[in-house]
Amino acid sequence: MRITELRKKVGGMEIHVPDLRIESGRIHGLVGPNGCGKTTLLKMIMGIIRPDSGTVDFEGLRPTDITMTSQRPYLMRASVYDNIVYPLKIRGAGIDQGEIDDLLERTGLLPHKHQYAGSLSSGERQKLSFLRAIVFHPSMILVDETFSNLDPDSEALFREMILERREKDGAAWLIVSHQWDRMNSIFDEIHHMEKGRIVKRDGNLNGAIK
Amino acid sequence: MLDWIRGVFSNPAVQSAVRVTFIMAFASTAISSGIGIAAGLWLQKHNFFGKRVIIRINRTLMGVPPVVIGLLVYLLTMRGGPLGPLSLLFTVRGMILAQVLIITPIISGMVYSYAAGAVPAIQEFAITMGADKRQTNRLIISELRNEIYFCIIAGFGRAISEVGSVMLVGGNIKGHTRTMTTMISLLKSQGIYSEGIGLGLMLLLIAFILQTLGDYLRKEEVRNENY
Repeated sequence: MRITELRKKVGGMEIHVPDLRIESGRIHGLVGPNGCGKTTLLKMIMGIIRPDSGTVDFEGLRPTDITMTSQRPYLMRASVYDNIVYPLKIRGAGIDQGEIDDLLERTGLLPHKHQYAGSLSSGERQKLSFLRAIVFHPSMILVDETFSNLDPDSEALFREMILERREKDGAAWLIVSHQWDRMNSIFDEIHHMEKGRIVKRDGNLNGAIK
Repeated sequence: MLDWIRGVFSNPAVQSAVRVTFIMAFASTAISSGIGIAAGLWLQKHNFFGKRVIIRINRTLMGVPPVVIGLLVYLLTMRGGPLGPLSLLFTVRGMILAQVLIITPIISGMVYSYAAGAVPAIQEFAITMGADKRQTNRLIISELRNEIYFCIIAGFGRAISEVGSVMLVGGNIKGHTRTMTTMISLLKSQGIYSEGIGLGLMLLLIAFILQTLGDYLRKEEVRNENY
């Protein structure tokens, strides 16, 4: 995916991203202080917010190949299971019960499988949202501070799962995180954002951030 | 006590009033729900010049005294009125028309308020899941189902308890347009309290059932923390 000259005025600030390329199989980190425009940028990529100008070229990807999870995810008024299988259902894709149970088991959500999703804790909601995003094997996943309420063990598990998915599906990841000191071990590239602009880029192909 | 209840509800006039009340309440709620839910969701979805004024008018109509609507429908349906040829005055159909005019703004206003709060989050979620337009609309209806049920219950509650407009438009004709509420009003003026109390208790029971159903739906709503 390539962003070219993307602009959006939000309040008194203009978000301006002249050039940003997210390649398949790479994990990009997007870091910066609160209110610098990270979420707005992700929403523009996702098509939730319309930019004032500029283009987001998905280079062959369809909108249904891209997904996004957020810090306060929306959970359907249904069970944990129904939430997870929703993206599969709307695509008419087959439901691999074994895979679903495996994902739930790994993240500790299996005992809650048939529980009402709205009754989950905030950390569990984030876990569910993450599983729902990866279950249909999208080509690009935008993650907006989805790990903010997770304990260190769960966070480590999700880092592991992201790396697994990267290997398995070759998906591109763009991850907004405030825990970037812990997340940077998996980032191939980090984009530093300030006041609506990407001011610095770090990283190399080996995933070791310079 | 049981004999008293049996005595009250074995009276053909009471049975007729109960039947007319339910026909009127169910029919008007069904029609108002169809129009009100569609209008409320449509208002939320579309932005246009004058939308705020429309919403303000809708909210004004939500609180309009039913007797005013009754008077309006009376004037419209009276022999010389624009709807006179339809012969709706002093009929159950005329009463349903009045009820629809009273309940529709209530349902559309409530649906709009719920939708305005919830739909943006649902739409965002639908986009992130890759849902198409049809799937998004289905999701919105499904996610708002508790609120929509609640709006229908509120409309039905209003329909079944209404007196002013049905008295004016229906004329409180025995065995024809007399409802439970207009019968209570008449019985009280005649000093007959026994049957009035029986009908009143039945209305109270219906209100209690509606309230219980409403509480249950609101409880579901609170449990969901998405918005």
